[in-house]
Amino acid sequence: MPEVFIDGKRYEFEGKPKLLQFILDQGLEVPFFCYHPSMSIPANCRQCMVKVGTPIADKDTGEYELDENGERKIRWFPKFQTSCSTTVSDGMVVHTQESSEEVARAQKDTLEFILINHPLDCPICDQAGECPLQIQTYKYGPEGSRFEVKKVHKPKRVQLGERVTLDAERCINCTRCVRFTEEISETNQLTIVSRGDKNYPMTAPGEEFDDPYSMNTVDICPVGALTSTDFRFKARVWEMNQTPSIDITNGKGCNVDLWTRDNLVLRITPRQNEDVNDYWMPDEGRDAYQQFNENRVSRPSIKLDGDNQSNTSWNNAIETFAEVLEAHEADNLAVIGSPHASVEENYAFNKFFNLLGAANAKFTPHVIPGYGDDFLITDDQAPNANGCRLINLDESEADGIKAAIQNAEVVIILSDDLIGRDVFSAEDLDDKYIISLATNQTPTVEASDLVIPITCIAEHAASYINVDGRIQRSYPAKETKYTNRRLNLEMSEGRLDRYGTNFDNWVSEENKVDCLPVWEFLNHLGDRLGLAYQQDHSRTIFAELSNQFPALEEITYERMDEEQGVQLPIEQQEVTQA
Amino acid sequence: MAEQDYSFTQEELDEIERLKAKFPTDKAATLRVLWVAQEKYGHVEPEVQQLVAETLDISPAHVHGVATFYTQYYKEEMGKFVLDVCTCLSCQLCGGYEILHHLEDELGIKAGETTEDGMFSIQSVECLGACGYAPMLQVTNGVYANNLTKEKVDKLIENLRNGNMPEFESMVMRQNEKRKKAVSE
Ligand code: SF4
Ligand code: FES
Ligand code: FES
Repeated sequence: MPEVFIDGKRYEFEGKPKLLQFILDQGLEVPFFCYHPSMSIPANCRQCMVKVGTPIADKDTGEYELDENGERKIRWFPKFQTSCSTTVSDGMVVHTQESSEEVARAQKDTLEFILINHPLDCPICDQAGECPLQIQTYKYGPEGSRFEVKKVHKPKRVQLGERVTLDAERCINCTRCVRFTEEISETNQLTIVSRGDKNYPMTAPGEEFDDPYSMNTVDICPVGALTSTDFRFKARVWEMNQTPSIDITNGKGCNVDLWTRDNLVLRITPRQNEDVNDYWMPDEGRDAYQQFNENRVSRPSIKLDGDNQSNTSWNNAIETFAEVLEAHEADNLAVIGSPHASVEENYAFNKFFNLLGAANAKFTPHVIPGYGDDFLITDDQAPNANGCRLINLDESEADGIKAAIQNAEVVIILSDDLIGRDVFSAEDLDDKYIISLATNQTPTVEASDLVIPITCIAEHAASYINVDGRIQRSYPAKETKYTNRRLNLEMSEGRLDRYGTNFDNWVSEENKVDCLPVWEFLNHLGDRLGLAYQQDHSRTIFAELSNQFPALEEITYERMDEEQGVQLPIEQQEVTQA
Repeated sequence: MAEQDYSFTQEELDEIERLKAKFPTDKAATLRVLWVAQEKYGHVEPEVQQLVAETLDISPAHVHGVATFYTQYYKEEMGKFVLDVCTCLSCQLCGGYEILHHLEDELGIKAGETTEDGMFSIQSVECLGACGYAPMLQVTNGVYANNLTKEKVDKLIENLRNGNMPEFESMVMRQNEKRKKAVSE
């Protein structure tokens, strides 16, 4: 097997890796800015320089020439090489900053150059705390600068598009953003304008940076030049905690991180998953944070007089729900599951009404034909249509749902704005008793007689099956009124959580929604009805599912965590129009 | 002012086809086609950049990037004579900025501006590859005026005002002067 010596240590390699990537793959480090594993390699930042040599081999025999000590003779490249663009070759000898003072010095000087015109405004910069330039300057940079001349000024606060704001002075012209629009989103909307110390990225005159993936440039910008217009100045990175989750705004299930502070989701960023979304996600998915915070259904509510809902207690909600169920035959219930809810929620929901004697819940996919692209935006607007199919919910078109409602006296809807998405209208619900188990205020919730607030993806651990049949899961990121970050080992703790107390002024109760996971609510309802129904945790629900459905055999939360989701052996179904 | 309609004639389009054929990709022909456009309009304002992008079927952002990289492309209408004063390293060390400032004073405009009569524009530009005869300037992407002094600049302006373009000056490095003499004798 071919070998390479890095800082005196031998490594074997296969194929033709690039040196920088190979070094990173070994868990070692060389500072860099412009390189990105999913894009072309321009080698323009010059930060990743290392000393490289190759052994001298006899042309005829191919044998390595040895020196008087019996060591291989090395022919060093006359200048340091950018490791990002150097292909590793057999016998190559590499010295990084770890074993060569010269290399360390070169990297330090490069940083001094890069920083000549950089404003060094980290204290007011959003990128601070997650900024490669800041981190690498601390680690490898000079302590000061020999450049005492006035810095070059460039445009600031430029609204490149609706969602991305540019501070050109912070830009180090790595061209990552430009390459992103050329190679990944293929809108070609960005370019570097001007020349020398005056250059920065820009759109063509009069053009707006309205790329549906524009905010990925904010993530990959190695400095604070590109910032999210929406998130700017909202929170420092180190104040937030980061929880892995799934994008629920379409069927792709992009892997994401939810960033929370004081139980508000403040931003959503993509989490790398080679098999799903690589490093990217659509801008739309990032807006979902608002629906986790705002317009939530909190505390049960009930219609008492006319069309006005008012809040009520959980006990009263359970009692009302139970009385309605007791007053009607199972045949007269229309039970509607949801592609917008998780596998576990749909299962727990369906099982409950099965126990009462109802047929399998119906659901209708939420598809807008032609909405998707061939990348990460799908026609399917819901994260879990395949999950509903897998647990054998009864898939129908809009008409089927309408018919089911017409024949029913009580309609029970799980987390799906069927009125909002025109499956039926509020009039279709006249003289029916409507119960919604919902996360957010919607026209459907408004038309309901009883509303049970349930947890959203940001508040529970649950799994979703994407359009390609991959099952992936979420973690609770936000506390509800009834959960506690310190007690729930699945919740992440940020610095403010760990070191703060309830008496600190950055902690408030307001952002905790008064809601329960569907299964927990159904436990209470089951108790009241005397049903043999008990679901403790989504994890145990999933274990039950996995026993019951062959496609989920041997699949566990642990496996989903370790393998970043698991591809299921299910046929890709033609998605039907809603 | 009525909005101008920018388009290439069939003849120009044929020329562009010939240019495209010289390059592996159409994108690579950007420089040349921008040039065709500038010859025609005297500038490559955004509308002209757009025309080039459409003609080559490439992104307007790319054309914009190329056009702004080179001072030789005029991103706005310029004076009749564009004086590109080199202020890059060699020229700077030999007094490039003094020449620039002298010009600015003489013409009453700053670098990047055009005189009111539309006669002169001044730009401060990067190395024009004539470091050996620094300081120097170039007139409207054409002849170089080398080894400048204030007097030489004054003379140049006067000549240009009278419609006399400076002659092309054949320059020889000092160390080669002897050889030149020998060759010409
Ligand atoms: S804005 Fe950021 S990503 Fe774009 S070139 Fe500048 S430093 Fe690189
Ligand atoms: S990362 Fe290698 S030159 Fe930028
Ligand atoms: S520095 Fe002026 S011509 Fe090179």
